[in-house]
Amino acid sequence: MAIAIATPARLRRKSHARWSPWLYLAPALITLLVWIYWPLVDAARLSFYQWNMLPNSPQTFVGWENYQRIFALPKFWQALRNTGVYILGLLPLAVLIPLAIAIYTHDLPERSRNIYRAIIFVPMIIAPVVAAAVWRWLLDPGYGLANQAIKGLGFDPVKFLSDPDTAIWTVIVITGWKLMGFSTLILSAANANINPTLIEAARMDGAGKWEIIRDVRLPLLSSTVLFLVVMTILLGAQWSFTYINVLTGGGPLGATTNIYYLLWDFGFSTMSVGWGSASAVILFLGFGVIAFVLFRLIDRYSFHDN
Amino acid sequence: MTTDALARPVRVRTAPLRRISSQSGLNTAAGHLLMVLLSIFCLFPVYWMLVSSFRPANAMFETSLWPTQGSLENYTTAIDAIPIARMLLNTLVFSAVSTVFQLLTGILAAFAFARWKFPFDKLVYTGVALTWLVPFQVVMIPNYLLVAHMGLLDSILALILPNIAAALAIMLLAQAMRGFPKEVIEAARMDGASNWRILWEVLVPNLRGTIASLAILIFISTWNEYFWPLLLSRTAENSVIQIGIQMFMTAEGNAWGPLMAASTLASLPVLVIYVVLQRQVVQSFMKSGIR
Repeated sequence: MAIAIATPARLRRKSHARWSPWLYLAPALITLLVWIYWPLVDAARLSFYQWNMLPNSPQTFVGWENYQRIFALPKFWQALRNTGVYILGLLPLAVLIPLAIAIYTHDLPERSRNIYRAIIFVPMIIAPVVAAAVWRWLLDPGYGLANQAIKGLGFDPVKFLSDPDTAIWTVIVITGWKLMGFSTLILSAANANINPTLIEAARMDGAGKWEIIRDVRLPLLSSTVLFLVVMTILLGAQWSFTYINVLTGGGPLGATTNIYYLLWDFGFSTMSVGWGSASAVILFLGFGVIAFVLFRLIDRYSFHDN
Repeated sequence: MTTDALARPVRVRTAPLRRISSQSGLNTAAGHLLMVLLSIFCLFPVYWMLVSSFRPANAMFETSLWPTQGSLENYTTAIDAIPIARMLLNTLVFSAVSTVFQLLTGILAAFAFARWKFPFDKLVYTGVALTWLVPFQVVMIPNYLLVAHMGLLDSILALILPNIAAALAIMLLAQAMRGFPKEVIEAARMDGASNWRILWEVLVPNLRGTIASLAILIFISTWNEYFWPLLLSRTAENSVIQIGIQMFMTAEGNAWGPLMAASTLASLPVLVIYVVLQRQVVQSFMKSGIR
């Protein structure tokens, strides 16, 4: 990924060539510095202050107090646990089921594959707010189609979004709905890229259908699978943000609040810049460590199909 | 941030060796069934949005799976309630301007990475790539404060500013430029073309496929952006359609019909792009991974 075009020596001798790359880079780098790197530094600084975001109220230095308070907050641990539930709940929807479907449907004819592909991709381009609105309508306890059907079958209506035990799973399924078709497409593409002679060779050796999947397909798909797992772990809780915000507001009783939503809650509902920034720093460092470990794992454990 | 499997476009599968098995017909049928079920799961909510949006208000709670009578009542109600046309225009400006700028800064930065070796080039590239992993929620408070400080709250300009450059565009374009045949660049240089001309008259025209698919990707993701507008919006006139949709869902109750009508209007441009450029849209999303 990082192989630069070898520069001809003649060019390097010209003195203006030393500045050229920086001129070309400037607009992008300045934007990223102003809107990402500087805010990171600023968030770290603000995490040591107490401030309510009003321009003329004072910023008071409080040291590590924000951090201590957050770690002592049951709400924080609940949000952390929920973040784990989001990730674990999303893995089957964003990785396992798509993997099974991709392997199972690999020998469908080209024409019908294209039609399926066009359809299952649709949720990916639908705006999260629109998705939230439609699911809210489908799942409405009184008039939603889902509950009409459940009532029609003679059961009690389900409070998909207002029951503390159910709400988080509802949000997970909606997040999964957005990703499932897309993951299937990615895995199907990887599956279709497996060299057919490898499969044929295994078959010649007397391998059965399951052995081919277990010993040939799965190992060759492992880098794609691992990539999707990493994305789900790193971004899973983030993807669900809009649905939490629009559908449950983090409730009922904090049951759907994950760590990203907690950040939002601290910063913009309670206007506590210090708490918001401190949890941003905790989140950033936490996920940074996880990302580092996961990308190392990818390097080490993925097989490559040449 | 893409693995090899993702970077490769979906390719027509090479013809499999014919299998002579009595089971394969049954398997294919089961495979079709599986895909049909998945397709219904993926498409039904969108279908239901369309159907609901055309129901007259007095038939809103009907459960027939297809509309028995069509009506534009929900659309007129929605248009009366919020300035939808203005909000759609705002969203269009926000998405189009962000797309153009992200492509411009991306092309320039990618050229620097692909053309030259310079001190700290790898470090700078890593620094760019890492921003792709910084969740927006982590930098939102300082970003909000910065916009407030500049006095730009509740403006489309403020929505655009952080979107002027993005790691994804830079990385995808740099990859494409590195893969461009060096002989062609060298030939242009022999003819006395400056770097600036090489970039705009050789590289960019030849990479228009990559640039177009990147443009689609940026446009659609910006169109669907919700979080940043949510932070900055104060008035309906200055916000985007995604915020408008949200206005029909309140704690007091939901105006289901107008909500579905507004959702349909908000999805229409993206769906039209998708219907016209289906193959390219799917490929551009798959090349870039998820986000």
